[in-house]
Amino acid sequence: MRGGSEVTTGPIPVGQFVNLVRSTIRNDKLFQNQVITGEITQWKQYPSGHTYFTLRDTEGQISAVIWKGRCHIDPLIEEGSVVVVIANLDVYAKAGKIQLVVSRIEPVNKLGLLEERKKELIENLRNEGLLDRQRTPLPLIPQHIAIITGTGSAALADMNQLIENRWPSLRRTVIGVTVQGDNAAKEIVRGILAARKLSQPEIAARFMQPPVDLVIVGRGGGAPEDLWAFNLEPVVRAIIACEIPVVSAVGHESDLLVSDLVADLRASTPSNAIERCVPEYDYHQTLIQHFYERLDDSTNRLFSDWQNSLQLFQSRLSNAPLKGIYNANQKISQLSNRLSNAVSGKFANAREKLLFLENAIQLIVQKSLSNEAKKLAVIQSALNSAHPRNVLDRGYSMITDERGSVVSNTGDLIEGQQIILALSDGNAKATVDEIEELGEKND
Amino acid sequence: MTEEINYSNAIERLEEIVQALERGGITLDETLALYEEGAKLLEFCQQELANAEGKLNEMRLSDIESKLSE
Repeated sequence: MRGGSEVTTGPIPVGQFVNLVRSTIRNDKLFQNQVITGEITQWKQYPSGHTYFTLRDTEGQISAVIWKGRCHIDPLIEEGSVVVVIANLDVYAKAGKIQLVVSRIEPVNKLGLLEERKKELIENLRNEGLLDRQRTPLPLIPQHIAIITGTGSAALADMNQLIENRWPSLRRTVIGVTVQGDNAAKEIVRGILAARKLSQPEIAARFMQPPVDLVIVGRGGGAPEDLWAFNLEPVVRAIIACEIPVVSAVGHESDLLVSDLVADLRASTPSNAIERCVPEYDYHQTLIQHFYERLDDSTNRLFSDWQNSLQLFQSRLSNAPLKGIYNANQKISQLSNRLSNAVSGKFANAREKLLFLENAIQLIVQKSLSNEAKKLAVIQSALNSAHPRNVLDRGYSMITDERGSVVSNTGDLIEGQQIILALSDGNAKATVDEIEELGEKND
Repeated sequence: MTEEINYSNAIERLEEIVQALERGGITLDETLALYEEGAKLLEFCQQELANAEGKLNEMRLSDIESKLSE
């Protein structure tokens, strides 16, 4: 105490004295920029923006203040947190109170604290049944993908490159957000909200685009704290609330975030998300082309089978002797030709081919074959009237030679030959006496 | 088909159709009906691929938000 023994100066006013203490403390390097650790009690954040608390351990305690905006306060810090502060010792003269003026504060074992919060969140989600809720299936051919990730990030560059390889002109909207730091969670949530708006047909239509039908949200690898936004409740709830499927694509294979647990699909990395969501254009073009070919080939094969059956019919009928059958035979021959033309014609495209086939076949079907029973009846009656027995009943006879072959021309006969006359009720043997050819054939 | 048609179930149905045609043993009417259904589904799939074609929009969050609120 300077001047403590100087009686002549009189007593020092207490304010002066406290300020003397204050300047002494403030000028002593021992009390400046100290690194101190302790547990927080009486943590109070005032609307003015200043934060007051007491730092303590079993041996002692001291008041502390964080002036508004002087340092970043981790949202994890709360009553009971163990923290490390960097602070200057000061005296609040009006209260005669010494206090620490904090210039930096960090939670001790931050990762441990984070992990604890993450576990709590997962537990809550499980209790709410949100971890095993029904997932929305991903579209095989997404018409409009929204990608929510860091603007200009390496992850975005990787994703764009992969899309370029798989389907360069696939429609997509990239929503650039901050993916780490204090604002990350808020921006990611807003990004998801924007994507949800774009998934509404009437809003998408204003942008002349089909609605967003798939959302990929993620970022590349980093330290666990850097990825932490994806473990925070607002982001997780935003993913759950999204009506369209959401793919969580955060960090590396080994990182498991809460967003991964609630998303409709967990991709191990942003690139993996692209591999699993973005179709390969060439693959699908080939797939469709193969279907076209199989459809044509199989249908053509069936038509040509029917054509063969008709030809078989035709050749059997051509051996029949009577004119009615000859007409039926001709008709079938026509049908066969038309079917053949329909099948073997060259068509510019399947549609044209389909129409042509449809018309040709439908005509055929309508005219002759649409009703299988009718077709059979026609053939049956033709065959019935062609049956030799019916002819014989009308007074005709059928001539066969000794071997049983039907004789229909004089050329098949020689004079003196033995023949058999088949009559309606029996046979008669006869001998050819004389052969006389007619000038023109009469049938 | 009662459920809404999409690319995935169109491809599934196409597989059934071509398998039925490849197996054969069906009537002319059935063949025509399957062929027609198959051709329509293929047209739909082709259209789906065409519809997915678009451009890349890259926007900052704030830009897209202000566009959305316009």
